[in-house]
Amino acid sequence: MKVNENNWQRFLAVIPIAVFLVSWEYLAKYQIINAHLFPQPTQIIRSLATLYSKGQPENSELLMHISATLKRLLLSFTFGVIGGILVGCLMSINQKFHSFLNPIISLFMPIPGMALAPLVIVWLGFGDPTIIFLGAISVFFPVVFNTIAGIKSINKQLIRAGQIMGLSQIKIATQIYFPWALVHILNGVRIGLARGWMTIVAVEFIAASNWGIGYMIWNAAEYLRADVVYGGILVLIILYFAIERITIRNLENKTVVRWGLLSQKNG
Amino acid sequence: MNNNSAKATLQSILQTIYPFLVIGVIWEVSVQLNWMPSSNLSSPSIILQRFIDVAFMDGILWKHFLSSFTRLVIGFSLASVLGLITGALLSMQPLLNKMFEPVINLLVSVPTIAWVPVLLITMGLGDKTVITTIFLGSYFVIVYNTMRGIEIVDKNIINAAHSMGVHGTKLFAKVLIPASFLSILTGLRLGLGYAWRALVGGEMLSAMIQWGVGKMIFQARFWNDTATMIVGILIIGFSVILIDQVMINYIEKITVYRWGMVNQVEESNLE
Amino acid sequence: MNKPIVEIRNLNKTFKSDNQTLLALEDINLSIPQGKFVVLIGPSGCGKTTLINLIAGFEKPSSGSILLEGKPIEKPGPDRGFVFQDYALFPWKTVLGNVMFGLVNNGWKKEEARERAKEFIHMVNLTGFEQNFPHTLSGGMRQRVSIARALAYDPKVLLMDEPFGALDAQTRKHMQKELADVWEKTHKTVVFITHSVIEAVYLADIIVVMTARPGKVKAIIDVDVPRPRKYTEEHYLEIREQVLSHLDAEIEKEQMQHPI
Repeated sequence: MKVNENNWQRFLAVIPIAVFLVSWEYLAKYQIINAHLFPQPTQIIRSLATLYSKGQPENSELLMHISATLKRLLLSFTFGVIGGILVGCLMSINQKFHSFLNPIISLFMPIPGMALAPLVIVWLGFGDPTIIFLGAISVFFPVVFNTIAGIKSINKQLIRAGQIMGLSQIKIATQIYFPWALVHILNGVRIGLARGWMTIVAVEFIAASNWGIGYMIWNAAEYLRADVVYGGILVLIILYFAIERITIRNLENKTVVRWGLLSQKNG
Repeated sequence: MNNNSAKATLQSILQTIYPFLVIGVIWEVSVQLNWMPSSNLSSPSIILQRFIDVAFMDGILWKHFLSSFTRLVIGFSLASVLGLITGALLSMQPLLNKMFEPVINLLVSVPTIAWVPVLLITMGLGDKTVITTIFLGSYFVIVYNTMRGIEIVDKNIINAAHSMGVHGTKLFAKVLIPASFLSILTGLRLGLGYAWRALVGGEMLSAMIQWGVGKMIFQARFWNDTATMIVGILIIGFSVILIDQVMINYIEKITVYRWGMVNQVEESNLE
Repeated sequence: MNKPIVEIRNLNKTFKSDNQTLLALEDINLSIPQGKFVVLIGPSGCGKTTLINLIAGFEKPSSGSILLEGKPIEKPGPDRGFVFQDYALFPWKTVLGNVMFGLVNNGWKKEEARERAKEFIHMVNLTGFEQNFPHTLSGGMRQRVSIARALAYDPKVLLMDEPFGALDAQTRKHMQKELADVWEKTHKTVVFITHSVIEAVYLADIIVVMTARPGKVKAIIDVDVPRPRKYTEEHYLEIREQVLSHLDAEIEKEQMQHPI
């Protein structure tokens, strides 16, 4: 019964997409819509395939774009998460630190990475440094925010339970605060990943010199290659889906879901 | 206790400004003493001067801001209204709900900026593109959160309403919407965030646009004018905070906080 | 054998908030004899939770002293065990992990800790659930883990703050019996807080009735009903009446202080 339910859901979910693609295919084929602006999906796939095989056997052009973006994502993510957790812990422990940094973080957190891009380009030029820097910042903020919230939210009784069993302050921090805060931290990490992804792709539009999916899309737009533009969006969707699945879901399942601290779906 | 609360507010304002003052002073001094090259980063005094120039002397800051703000309002309002309606309609039909929820979730994951090239090709390089980008950026996330919010309404509340003879659109307006208000607000909040991204990104990439804060920042690059950039960045920062704090917090206060519904979707609490 | 293990002398506790000063406990003088099951009972707000928190070391006295085996209590430590009303189990640890926690952190080697933990898990009748995470257990089961955890490292005194308050009536009754059984095996000194007179008379050797706020000791009643106890025995019922009459008077007083 359960298996059937899941398959049925998947089938239902596919219907709108399938209908959409098929209609698009035929509307473009028969020129009901402008096939230059809205190329047939089959054409889009073909263009992607071409990009994939271009440059082989050494380096597939498509893969090089993808790996450039992924590399930037990995670095931004690493810096942002580590920095975010460290600063978050520091701010939770030290009130002065917290009062000082909090207004600054509150001001800069909601500013889109793109708005900072021209300024950062002046400092760091075009290319990886700028992109990774801005990506790292956009990962940093949600992680800090959620780390602090997580540490703050701890059930006081858990601390007392640790105290009465004779644990030192350090042990309480590492053995009680940390596992508890992990739920929130992971949530922050997941949001950070999404933000980082968005920022990197966006900044690639204006700051990348020759590689990156964002660059690929923007470049294609400048040459009016609608097929590559849509192809790029498709690549973005698939990539992000895969990334999120692999990293976050895995991490969550091994920890907080097992501990019963996370309800299944999130808004 | 008017005196006490006024004192407390003053204290919290000072506390908020304090870090900026410290940084500002250090920064200013470093530039004056030539510890830091001012070409890379204008000193606060220059930034202040620039702000006064563009805001009050030329008045062009106001023009930029107004353009941006108008686009934001149009795009976001449309997205909110249509998003709420779409989300509501889809959630009423379980079949439609199951069909479209994954698709919408997928569309939310597309970086907002990625819509811009598509729109540039089809709609050109002007205002329409930016507004549509803002719309697309916020629309899907609002639909999604509305759908999810209504989906997780406690079945018992619906049953209670049914047993009192409340069905259909009445049930919808009087029960489902208030019950899912927290999720709806979350969707609006997120949508607003995406809207800002779309606005800034769209303005930077649309060549035919003359006015807009994003445009202002982007153009400043050609003169290496970091002062204007920083003015623009700060304006955006303050605007976002203002709109979020004033509008959304206020709405929250008179609705979900008052109703005690703050933690609707919560991790299962430690017992 | 009845030498006092915890001595409370001239204890006062005041809480200060922004513009209020609250006297929670006034001039408490109490001796807790070793090996006895002592129950604190009183109307809401009488300070019984405050008192047990003071013994635990979570709070400090405003004046007066609390001595454990002659030494003043300064902070929480493993010479006392605590069972919370909300269980306070670590959700990221299994049942076994929770019960081992106090041992491992007080110098026990992992293997020995594991063996000992298993014994206590057995004592509370949860053998087979060692690898479960707390969120998969019912309220009664969680509380049993909590009790096992607190007893495992052999504290001198076991403190229990309304441990069965969050359970439904049937589970509660069952747990009372289980606790009585466990206590028979260990004869730990227990300080137990409850609202329920039935529970108090069922479990206690000594019942301490407290007054409405500010809390003082109103009456100390010896419960000399032989164990295992039945809720319907005559002597049991007599003692119940005794406690109730003290309690009712205090509850009335408390209502008058805070009319609804």
